[in-house]
Amino acid sequence: MSKFVERPRYVCSLGGAVGTIKVLPRTVPILHAATGCGGNVATALNQAAGYMGSGYCAGQALPSTNTSEREIVFGGEERLSEQIANTIKLVDGDLYFVITGCMVDMIGDNIHNSIKQFNGGKARVIGAETGGFRGNYYKGYEIVLKTLFQDFVEKNPAKDKGLVNLWGVVPIQDVFWKGNLTLIKDLLVKLGYRVNTFFGEGETLEDLQNSAAAALNIVVSDTFGVEAAQVFEEVHSVPYITVPFPIGDHGSQRFLRAIGNALGIEKAFVEKVIKEEQARYYSYFERIADVYSDLDLQRYAVVVGDSNYTQALARFLADDLGWLPGLAVVTDFLDDEQKDTVRGQFNGYESGIEAEVVFDTDASNVGKYIARHWGQSRGQRYFEGFNPGFILGSAIDRDIAEKLGVPQLTVTYPISNRVVLDRGYAGYSGALRLTEDILSVLVGNR
Amino acid sequence: MDYIKEKTPPIREERLGACMAFGGSCCDISNQSKKGCLFNNNRTFSQSQGCQLTLSLAILNTIRDSVIIVHSPIGCGANLVAQAGVSKGYQKLRDPNAFGLRWINTNLDEVDVINGGEEKLRSAILYADREYRPSAIIVMNSCVPALIGDDIDTLIEELQQQVAARIVPVHCEGFKTRIQATAYDAVYHGILRTLVGIEEEEADPVIIDELEELKKRYRISRTVNVLNVSSMSRSDEQGLVKLLQSLDLNVRILPCYAHPDDFEDSFEAALNVSICATHDDYFVEHMKSKYGVPFILRTIPIGIANTNKWLLDIARFFGMEEQAQKLIDSEVRELNQALAPYRQFLQGKTAFLGGGEIRIITTAELLHSLGMEVLGLRGFHFDRYGEGLLEELMAEIPESEKAIINIGTGQPFEQANLLSRYKPDVFVGHPGGNGWANKQGIPVFPLFGQAYDYMGYVGVYEVARRLTRTLKNTSYSQNLVKHVRLPYRQDWYAEDPFAYIKQDLAL
Repeated sequence: MSKFVERPRYVCSLGGAVGTIKVLPRTVPILHAATGCGGNVATALNQAAGYMGSGYCAGQALPSTNTSEREIVFGGEERLSEQIANTIKLVDGDLYFVITGCMVDMIGDNIHNSIKQFNGGKARVIGAETGGFRGNYYKGYEIVLKTLFQDFVEKNPAKDKGLVNLWGVVPIQDVFWKGNLTLIKDLLVKLGYRVNTFFGEGETLEDLQNSAAAALNIVVSDTFGVEAAQVFEEVHSVPYITVPFPIGDHGSQRFLRAIGNALGIEKAFVEKVIKEEQARYYSYFERIADVYSDLDLQRYAVVVGDSNYTQALARFLADDLGWLPGLAVVTDFLDDEQKDTVRGQFNGYESGIEAEVVFDTDASNVGKYIARHWGQSRGQRYFEGFNPGFILGSAIDRDIAEKLGVPQLTVTYPISNRVVLDRGYAGYSGALRLTEDILSVLVGNR
Repeated sequence: MDYIKEKTPPIREERLGACMAFGGSCCDISNQSKKGCLFNNNRTFSQSQGCQLTLSLAILNTIRDSVIIVHSPIGCGANLVAQAGVSKGYQKLRDPNAFGLRWINTNLDEVDVINGGEEKLRSAILYADREYRPSAIIVMNSCVPALIGDDIDTLIEELQQQVAARIVPVHCEGFKTRIQATAYDAVYHGILRTLVGIEEEEADPVIIDELEELKKRYRISRTVNVLNVSSMSRSDEQGLVKLLQSLDLNVRILPCYAHPDDFEDSFEAALNVSICATHDDYFVEHMKSKYGVPFILRTIPIGIANTNKWLLDIARFFGMEEQAQKLIDSEVRELNQALAPYRQFLQGKTAFLGGGEIRIITTAELLHSLGMEVLGLRGFHFDRYGEGLLEELMAEIPESEKAIINIGTGQPFEQANLLSRYKPDVFVGHPGGNGWANKQGIPVFPLFGQAYDYMGYVGVYEVARRLTRTLKNTSYSQNLVKHVRLPYRQDWYAEDPFAYIKQDLAL
């Protein structure tokens, strides 16, 4: 049984659905939900996501039936049909995606009755039930992907050996998703593949529609998009692999080798790509050698956030930067099996560092785990403690950082104290951005 | 007015006949509003808006030393996620020891939808009390528990015996109303029921010190409650306090950024002064019927004319009109001198406004007084308070009768059509919908902001100064219009902007 969440770092499945559809090219979300659901999630999908903006047709522009008491009592299907028809008339899109809120799901409106009326029309209309009680943002991402795979991706038995699909980097909830997709795509291109990222730069809906031709679905996550990839496999016979989100040299090496393995790429070629990437990476990474050693910039660190980021950040800090990330707080909703998988991603560090991994959704507990892990000062003369410390987490974790007097960088959702455009932290180049951002916090506050 | 005995407040569609869909001239809306035939208007295409719960947070997340519990699935109250970590600054302007936002979501899931969510709420309340030891725990009820029939009031009554904090229930279920401003009634309803009023034993001391009693009565006779809004800046607030202090009045500021205890004796005041009827009518009416505190609700002190009215209304109540008039004369004289260069620059520039009815009508007057022409207004909703202010505006500025008025919460598609039609030099809009205007190449001046001054005499100068700055370089919006397009099909811009408004004249 689930419990309450103190300062949640995600919105509901409806929010996840809006967020996912919002950034899909030429796709228009249509909300069938109570008055307020659209407006409610709008700020979380904008200001809390590095000020990503309203998007093409979301924010206040998001079409919504604004269901109220009358429809709750008498049913809202008629109103939905009217809303879909008028949305197509008014809003320029290639795909219209109907999603629902709690109230509509609970009164049992059947959106598919309304959607059916638009079958065969010029506009493509699909839909899914996404009421917020179904789960958090990631659930919405998962539902939207599954629906797209079932109802939008065209069947294609012929497979293109040079084409792969990329999933698991969750748009908006990973505030750096667009930059990250570009960076991961770059790595796969270096391995000799063409890559659909769907939500990244230069993507089209046709890429999605034709994605059943891919040789492999690569889910860059052990938790997000996995169920959807299973659906893709069932419906379109495209196998999938899951691989941890990579940041930095050590994470990216593992990533590239795993992909090489899955695609049957010659080992020597993968190693050559890694060597080239390393050469560029360390030509920049070495620049900080002076400041790192002169100012003793090695830190104890805590990473707080989702299961994609925490494992990637911890490995980068431990194995690339040579820090001591002793504690990782994973804030997702996970079942026991998922927790085991996630825990496994914190193993096998080259540095031999071991992080304590805790699963907790409540923001106030972060401080308690820090105190438990490093001990709490009682004014004693000789004391180990979380010092010098650093917190990599969300804007919510600024409070505990301030309380403990340690520097903090916001890299996980919500990110309301930074503006994020095309920045990404994935792979080799992304890790250089991350190094810049982390060390800038330290050198800027001396 | 007496709804306080009820667990939940009425919705504004019913209580005020508030309208949320209209398009026409200012003269039209005024006539139709008087006939009371606007509240049933609707749209056949609509875009997202916030709900009561979203807007309730605008007040509730400012209350000091409290914890908010949003009793809902995990997504409700999502604006808190966006404010977490960055809103402490405004809190600290009032309270150096501010905590930042503290809230809990009860995370109702598929199981709770069937079995009920009361146990999760119970555990959240007990946790909030134990973890934070706050003065107040504010419980916001949302759509889902309302539909599944969670009885939060009985639960709260029971838990109130066990926890130190006062528990404030706020019934703000989104589906109940499309008039988002019903939120203010929901919040004040909770505050009036649980925070206002002193316990019997405290109220009647055994020994009455007559001198103390006289002093107290005198103090109360010179005390006004100024009801602030969370969208105003601290310095706006301080500016208004200063004006009232110059009339020898004590000022108590409520409700935003107040401590829960501040409400307790809030009825010990000679007068309640609202600065926004949309915000406060429910509160001041109840304070009058329950505690006999009279109120002033006419206008917001934005622009010279309305600041004068606001101040004179208060002064008249205390028999200090003459003193107030002297103050006004000297303030206005000094202000007009300062405004001269800005008036020269702004003369003849055109504006379109969007936002709450009270703000847009008074800001229209302000812009007009700077020499600008107001082409049109977009109000979130319209009710008798807007009607009154609009009458005054049309009486004072006859040409405003012809200005276009569009009522709708958000609905940026209508805004896009109107702006492409009227092409104003500047759009003065409510935050949330301004980016769309910017993408149409129209520079934007936000209708309000917590970091800037808008109110009183200083506010007029500040608006003139910043508006001039906004118009000095409009390159950003000029760049956007060349490279970005809005999602609407091209033929929408040729259609009637109000084509999707259904006027229900049958009722």
